[in-house]
Amino acid sequence: MRPTFIIALLFFCFIIENNLFAQQKKEPILFEKEIKMSSDPFVGETNFYKTRSFFLQKEWDSTLVYSAKQLNQSVKNSTLKDYCYFFRAYSFNKKEVFKEAQKEYSKISSDFEFYSHVNIYLGEIAIELKEFQNAIDYFKIIEKSNDHKLISKVKVNIEHNLGICYLHLKQYDKSEAYLLKSIEAPEVKKDTLKLARFYGDMGVLYYEQYNDELAISYFQKAYQLSKSTKDYKVKQNMALNMAVVEENRKKFSESLRYRKEYEKWKDSLNNQSKIWEVARIEKEFAIKQKQKEVSLLKSENKAKVAERNGFLYTAIALLLLLLTTIYFYREKVKSTRIITTQKEDLDALNATKDQILSILSHDLRSSIIALKYSNRLLSDELAPNNLDNVNSLLDQNSTMVNSLYNLLDNLLQWALSQTKNSYFEITSLPLLSITEQVVYNYLPLMKEKNIIFTNNVLKSDMIQADQESFKIVLRNLIDNAIKFSDQDGTITLYTQNTHDMYCDLVIQDTGAGMTEETRLELLKDSVLLAKKEHEDKIGTGLGVQLCKTMIKKNQGMFAIESTLGKGTKMIVSLPKALTNG
Amino acid sequence: MDNINVLIVEDNPNESEPLVALLKTHGYTIAGVATNLKDALNIFYNSNTIDIVILDVFLNQVPDGIAFAETINAVPNASKPFVFLTSATDRTIFERAKLTQPFSYLLKPFNELELLYAIEMALERFYAQKNVFLSEDQDTVISDAYLYIKKGKGLKKVFLEDIIYIEVEEKYCNIITKKEKFVILISLTKILNLLDANMFSRTHRNFVVNMQKIEEIIPADNLIILSDNHQVTLSETYKGIIKKVRTLK
Repeated sequence: MRPTFIIALLFFCFIIENNLFAQQKKEPILFEKEIKMSSDPFVGETNFYKTRSFFLQKEWDSTLVYSAKQLNQSVKNSTLKDYCYFFRAYSFNKKEVFKEAQKEYSKISSDFEFYSHVNIYLGEIAIELKEFQNAIDYFKIIEKSNDHKLISKVKVNIEHNLGICYLHLKQYDKSEAYLLKSIEAPEVKKDTLKLARFYGDMGVLYYEQYNDELAISYFQKAYQLSKSTKDYKVKQNMALNMAVVEENRKKFSESLRYRKEYEKWKDSLNNQSKIWEVARIEKEFAIKQKQKEVSLLKSENKAKVAERNGFLYTAIALLLLLLTTIYFYREKVKSTRIITTQKEDLDALNATKDQILSILSHDLRSSIIALKYSNRLLSDELAPNNLDNVNSLLDQNSTMVNSLYNLLDNLLQWALSQTKNSYFEITSLPLLSITEQVVYNYLPLMKEKNIIFTNNVLKSDMIQADQESFKIVLRNLIDNAIKFSDQDGTITLYTQNTHDMYCDLVIQDTGAGMTEETRLELLKDSVLLAKKEHEDKIGTGLGVQLCKTMIKKNQGMFAIESTLGKGTKMIVSLPKALTNG
Repeated sequence: MDNINVLIVEDNPNESEPLVALLKTHGYTIAGVATNLKDALNIFYNSNTIDIVILDVFLNQVPDGIAFAETINAVPNASKPFVFLTSATDRTIFERAKLTQPFSYLLKPFNELELLYAIEMALERFYAQKNVFLSEDQDTVISDAYLYIKKGKGLKKVFLEDIIYIEVEEKYCNIITKKEKFVILISLTKILNLLDANMFSRTHRNFVVNMQKIEEIIPADNLIILSDNHQVTLSETYKGIIKKVRTLK
């Protein structure tokens, strides 16, 4: 019946090893912390950081991937390399690819901080691979090492593992010594679970040596202890051990009872698995539920964010609207101000225009009335053939018509200058000839007033001006001179060459003259003489305004010198012609 | 001296009649009064004695006056000086008229001085001799066929071929023709520049002779006998003209 027993024994040993790993569960928590702390200098390497975090999360596959990546980057730092190898080895170990794990462990250099651990793991792997002699070698190294802190922690396990190894190598003396040693600590600590296992192993040891009495006592001890543990696997194994032992003692009923118990624990284990399964499903369900809640919350959050964003956008839009409104309001205020000033200007201009219109119509009206009256006189005089009077009346009429014509002509020129639709070309002009041409029209008028006219302009005086606008200026100034001259007055035209660039044409009369006030008024821009002090003499001022505009357009200057009662000098300065100066 | 022949292009008789009268009083001859473009061109091209054209810008409300100027300007050698008559300084019309260089105009209403001035300006501009009639040292414009001389307020002309010789006296030149002898105001250098060198040659510091009027040259006496028994001196400096004279061989 020995073969059955051996199967059970091997099975048992395997369990022990697994448990041994399980036993270390608490230790790695500390160990992990240590690794984390001592590997901190390398977290700058992205791949290493990922490797480490996956390692700590026990994601073995990812750990392998990232450690490979890190190693592919031709790492020069040997410590960093060692960490990578360590993580890889550990991961392979966990994935039960022992050969690979062994390979990776062997690459770690001996000055690695956790090299003692490496030996432990190598020893454990050797046990897994049933290379018991190798395992013993590794464990021996640890036993002899100076790492007392580590040894104190793992001493019991190492001693037990050594015991197991010797047991498998059938070196029972050594095995017994180690196992007994390893039992000491759990007995002191009253670690029931460990004790049960260890007693079981002791049983196996003695049973192998056919020391059945001692073995059975250990098995029974282990069995009793196992009853008080909650580990089904231990319970199951102990029951199976008892069953095998009783069967070999031919105590079949006992054996059967133990078998049944073994079956029971096995079922329980299965049940437990089932329960776990259910629990897992429930957990999954709960997780799903939670997930749903989370997603609900997420969507709620999203909605909230959307709402908040909506508010934000609305606020921004409102702000923009407000700013635009303010901008446009300001613009409107500005344009209103501009419009207001323009309106004032326009009103002023319109008032001026109205003024001109009223004065003009008044002038025209009175002239026409005078003409009408004169015409009636004419017809009256014609009836008795009084031709002398007719002649003088005709002269008077032609004077009136002339002045009317001048007024209308000024009006036309003024309108044209306003619309800027008039032809304008500055050429060099012979001043004498032009003045003669203009004065020619006024000779009868002067003769009538018995005015002595002298034109002292030189033949060589040449100016730069637009012919027609200059003629308008001359016409107005001569007309004024005649208008304000008394009977037997003198009008003289002459030039002053006081300036290099300008030629001053002076129109001098010995007429009424004007006050300083009037003079300044006349020189002011676009102010019309509204006051009609002398009904027949003071005009609209339109002529002088027109003169000023035209002279300005010809790039000339205009000045008046006058003494009240003695006469007036109107001075027009125009650029000299460059040629033939 | 001959009168200046003026062609008037004006559709309104009320405007053209005073103009004709005014021109006549100042010794101008009216070559014709045309009232439309076609007539104007007919008269212009059928009479080769026209010296100047006075033309209204608007003929029957269309600016045919400008069209006339543009037409006669198209043939450079046949063109003559012209004066535009217009009643308003309307910019668009003026801009177009101005393209018919040389451009001179007369603004209605005008007095006689303005009219005479405009004619003078037209002649000066057309023959590119500015500041002649109003200057103190010159009163003659010279074209390729005539001398246009200011006489009183108006102008007269002398056919260049009629001149026998010119005698220079300081600032003046005595012009001797078959019929008459008169004085014009022009410098010798100017007149020599403007006259055709093939037609007129200098024979002496003070004499310019019409080559066609030379009857006989007596080098021994330094004398040139001209038609109508006029005689001028031939100085050593200018004896080269003998080569230019057609001689019988």
